[in-house]
Amino acid sequence: MNDLDQFHIKATDWRTQLQRNERRTRVVIIAFLVIYLLVGFVIDLFLYHNWFSQYPILVIVKAVVTFQLIPYATITMLGVAIIALLITFSMYDKIMLLGTDYKEIKPEGQNSIEEQQLYNVIEEMKVAAGLQFIPRVFVIEADYMNAFASGYSEKSAMVAITRGLLQKLDRSELQAVMAHELSHIRHHDIKLTLMASVLSNIMLIAVDILFYNVLFGGRRRQDGGGNQFIIFIIILRYVLPLVTMLLMLYLSRTREYMADAGCVELMRDNQPLARALLKIDQDHQMNQQAYQQEYGNTAHEDVRRAAYLYDPTSAGIRPIKSFLSMFSTHPDLESRLKAIGINRK
Amino acid sequence: MLILTILIVIVILLAIWVVGIYNKLIAMIETVNNNNKQIDIQLDRRYKVFESLINVVKKYMDYEQTTLKDVVALRSQAISAAEKGDEKTRIAAENGISKIASNINLVFENYPDLKANQNVLQLQEEIVNTENKLAYAKQAFNDSIERYNATKKSFFESFIVGLFQAKLDKTFVYWNLPEETIKEREDYTVKL
Repeated sequence: MNDLDQFHIKATDWRTQLQRNERRTRVVIIAFLVIYLLVGFVIDLFLYHNWFSQYPILVIVKAVVTFQLIPYATITMLGVAIIALLITFSMYDKIMLLGTDYKEIKPEGQNSIEEQQLYNVIEEMKVAAGLQFIPRVFVIEADYMNAFASGYSEKSAMVAITRGLLQKLDRSELQAVMAHELSHIRHHDIKLTLMASVLSNIMLIAVDILFYNVLFGGRRRQDGGGNQFIIFIIILRYVLPLVTMLLMLYLSRTREYMADAGCVELMRDNQPLARALLKIDQDHQMNQQAYQQEYGNTAHEDVRRAAYLYDPTSAGIRPIKSFLSMFSTHPDLESRLKAIGINRK
Repeated sequence: MLILTILIVIVILLAIWVVGIYNKLIAMIETVNNNNKQIDIQLDRRYKVFESLINVVKKYMDYEQTTLKDVVALRSQAISAAEKGDEKTRIAAENGISKIASNINLVFENYPDLKANQNVLQLQEEIVNTENKLAYAKQAFNDSIERYNATKKSFFESFIVGLFQAKLDKTFVYWNLPEETIKEREDYTVKL
């Protein structure tokens, strides 16, 4: 049975899709940087406000903005961000496969026909995308159907795919999945989402420190602007995590759309990806309980969730019990299909 | 003094901008060149892969075909002998089959991957893979020409191209089929 029977199929304009999402990404990244600098600025204000408590807050704002007072906190936060990013980038490859039982596929190794086919489709997509390097290929020994890509540059890139996916998809569907993953690599998505998450984490830690300083610092002043400033910090402490989370989700969804469009760009056909996504979705619905257990038994599932081809939470599977998992990092299936030109009848 | 500084800054920024566009276009031209050669690489690969594959598979398919024929012959021998009640011939024929079977097993144990259907599957996979790579190499070539042409002809970039005509203004021809071939391919239907 063809799952696509229930859908209208149109050709996709992947060029527009890519451009639109490229623009969205730029907006998100700029928003992130602005928020980051603002947080640094607020901390600087707080510090100088304590220091020179005889001046009204507006004078201090003016002094910091015009660099009459050096914004040490902002500079420190930028330094911390750079160091943290360097460390994360160098460690990241090793983190992604944590907790899974995996096998690396090498072209000259003893491979089954399926594994050879996997390697072949990746090579084909590499040729189509004009990548300079072939990513390392891993098969994760798990029944659920999923795949992800990682690596902060083309050189260090890797793709991983579960045994279940390898066995249940046909050649062109497998190719579509790999085209999606390679698109993540050539769009530098991993670098981007990592950067966003590292920045937001540092930011939240900084705001937390500020918040507890305000609460327990005992240096509260009873002048006019001071109280409002403290209230502002308290609000910031609760609003900022929400804002960054929404931004992260928006970024991640945008990049998923881009990878889908990139897949169509490489294959010049939108049906294999649609079939693969539908198959994976149905498979997750059907084996929900078994997969719930399997995802749950795999350690460190949270590091892979945003990177996966298919977010297990959209099938009601919640491997990680956190606030974040209430919101999917991926757009829902219908929207994804619609974006590549496939509408439900 | 201030105006002079501003002017210098503007000139420097302009120079950086021009150099940026120049380098981008050069990189795009080289990508097109490389992608063009990639088609040759894939053509060469196809030739070599198919040559060696056909040789290998022919050898083993021949072997399996003759053994299969032998087995069928012995089998019919055994059946007709059983009908006639000729136990001796029947047992000899059955023994012949077992012998062939154990021989095949021996071969298989030495070369576990060389079962006939496995070979065919691998052959199919290799052919599809090779043809796909060739097609995708052509696609990548055309895509890089598209990107180069679009950048070259777009606003602002076209000024820079005008300044360095010799280095930046290249004409690439998209990979395509000649007219008559297109007609021929379009009218093609599978005859079974």
